[in-house]
Amino acid sequence: MGGRAVAETVLSVKGLRKTIGGRPIIHDMTFDVYAGEVFGFLGPNGAGKTTTIRMLVGLASADGGEIDIGGISLRRSFPQAIAQVGCIVENPELYKFMTGRENLEHFARMSGGIPPERIEEIVRFVDLERAIDDKVKTYSLGMRQRLGIAQALLHRPKLLILDEPTNGLDPAGIRELRQFIRRLAEEEGLAVFVSSHLLSEIEMMCDRVAIINKGRVISVGPVQDLMEQFADRVAWTFPPEAERRGRDVLSGLPFVERVWPDGEGRLYCRMDTERIGEANAALVRAGVPVLGIAAKTVTLEDLFLALTGGGGEDGAEHARTGTK
Amino acid sequence: MGPSMLALVQNETIKLLRRRRFLVVLLILAVLIPIFTYAQYRSVVTAQERMGTTDWRTLLQQQIVDTQNRLASSRLPEEWREFLKIRVQQQQYYLDHDINPMAPGAPTFARGFMDQAVSLFLPMIIVVLAVDLVSAEYSEGTIKLLLTRPVRRWKVLTSKYITLLLFTSLTVLMTLLLAYLISGVVFGYAGWDLPVLTGFDVTGGELVTSAVFMLPQWKYLLMQYGLGWFVCIVVGTITFMVSVLVRSAAAGMGIMMAALISGTILTQMASTWESSKYLFVVNLQLTDYLAGTLPPIKGMTLPFSLAVLSVWAVAALIVAYAVFIRRDVAS
Repeated sequence: MGGRAVAETVLSVKGLRKTIGGRPIIHDMTFDVYAGEVFGFLGPNGAGKTTTIRMLVGLASADGGEIDIGGISLRRSFPQAIAQVGCIVENPELYKFMTGRENLEHFARMSGGIPPERIEEIVRFVDLERAIDDKVKTYSLGMRQRLGIAQALLHRPKLLILDEPTNGLDPAGIRELRQFIRRLAEEEGLAVFVSSHLLSEIEMMCDRVAIINKGRVISVGPVQDLMEQFADRVAWTFPPEAERRGRDVLSGLPFVERVWPDGEGRLYCRMDTERIGEANAALVRAGVPVLGIAAKTVTLEDLFLALTGGGGEDGAEHARTGTK
Repeated sequence: MGPSMLALVQNETIKLLRRRRFLVVLLILAVLIPIFTYAQYRSVVTAQERMGTTDWRTLLQQQIVDTQNRLASSRLPEEWREFLKIRVQQQQYYLDHDINPMAPGAPTFARGFMDQAVSLFLPMIIVVLAVDLVSAEYSEGTIKLLLTRPVRRWKVLTSKYITLLLFTSLTVLMTLLLAYLISGVVFGYAGWDLPVLTGFDVTGGELVTSAVFMLPQWKYLLMQYGLGWFVCIVVGTITFMVSVLVRSAAAGMGIMMAALISGTILTQMASTWESSKYLFVVNLQLTDYLAGTLPPIKGMTLPFSLAVLSVWAVAALIVAYAVFIRRDVAS
């Protein structure tokens, strides 16, 4: 973390707000994205991810707050700010009646000063050499996705914004895209902003993550911290009279990191699920009756519950570690 | 920093051509002009057969007599009667000065074609060209890529508008060219220098000929196609606004068709509803001012119609820019 503190802030969002039809959709969003990192934007459908992205790329206007890209205000100097951004918002919708090459030439002309060699280079980079002179309507979804990435990278942006990039891709395609995104960040030093509603996806490709819900950022921090806090939980159910003792026993075990009640008569603890047997044996030895054991893989819903309501304490703690 | 307007117009031109819009326009012209040519040819032949003569003076004289007979019948509505009266006066003027108003030849056909096409046919062709110029970017989702480039929105819209002006002009030019080339096969290509009368003035239901003067047909055609071009630019601009406002091409097409067709209907019956002269669709028959036929509503003049059309076009542009620049791109 200390190393990244010196990295350039490529995208800075401060106090972003948006109201649509009198209803506030985005409330006071603040986060930064640094060069060379993959930044996850995690939230359930309807959390305001796409609305935020539309504001980041200038498709929608913000009702308040500031968006700076490479230190340039998007609102005041739109062309200069957006010139540093490549994006795919939702699906990569290109001109189907033109060839892949004509599409790239079209966008190259709009950016200005892109030599023809750069088009050749980017076509090779996304591995579309064979199909580049075919009409886009003949492309498969994977090919369209790659052409979409080509148009996004054509003008050598500092910031790449991808909205749910794995939607509709098969597992092999997802893996390929993940490696591709990592490579862009690590080797090319790009800042990559990726939105998703899948925790597993964010976990696998991002360095840091902002978790958003109902138009608010509820936590920003390194993905690792997040996963360490929420991965591998085990829910224990005890008879009410034994709960106190169960908690004491579990808290005393060296491999159990934290224990907290969920408010519905169950106790959660953070531990390696492979050691459930050991923990159970310890409880039995101590004479604590166990009514149920459930290993929980963390879902996004659990995470939100933990960060907002049910585990408010954890949420607060996480928000602290997330502050840079 | 940023692209030149030329590069943006080049982009829009490529897209318009790749969408085959201009090809469709050319095809419509290439199919319909021969049909009109044949119809014109048939009507000439039929008239000659009926009269048993090919002398245009006899034919024109007969037409005047026919019209006067119709005027004698009292059943004619008042506006229609006035229209016919003025036409007779005009035909008489042509006859008196020994000028054949419909001397056969490709230039004459091109003149007649513009008179017929200027208020409905040409505007509809322009609608085909313009109706999805903006809306297609929205309906196909490509607007998201178009507006996330280092180009301000007004510049993107301007590049589209310039492209529209370019192709509208090209369409009018091609109309003249195709009308000339195709009809010439039947009527011959001569007749550029034929005298045509213009400067008729209709005052109080009477034809005033004091200002009438003679023009070689090529000059008349230039003026006439210039006016036709202006009508097309105005209709194109209004369609352009519709394309910004309405996302579906079918809806846009419907709106413009309805407007144009109701304009045609209104010009035929609107003489009693005077304020309809402020509608753009009632003012499209600009070439009639050159030919000297009765305007649909009393008091309409060429400067009046030009002013009404200009106001509509400017207002449409203001709306188009204001909406395009401010509107959020929603999913």
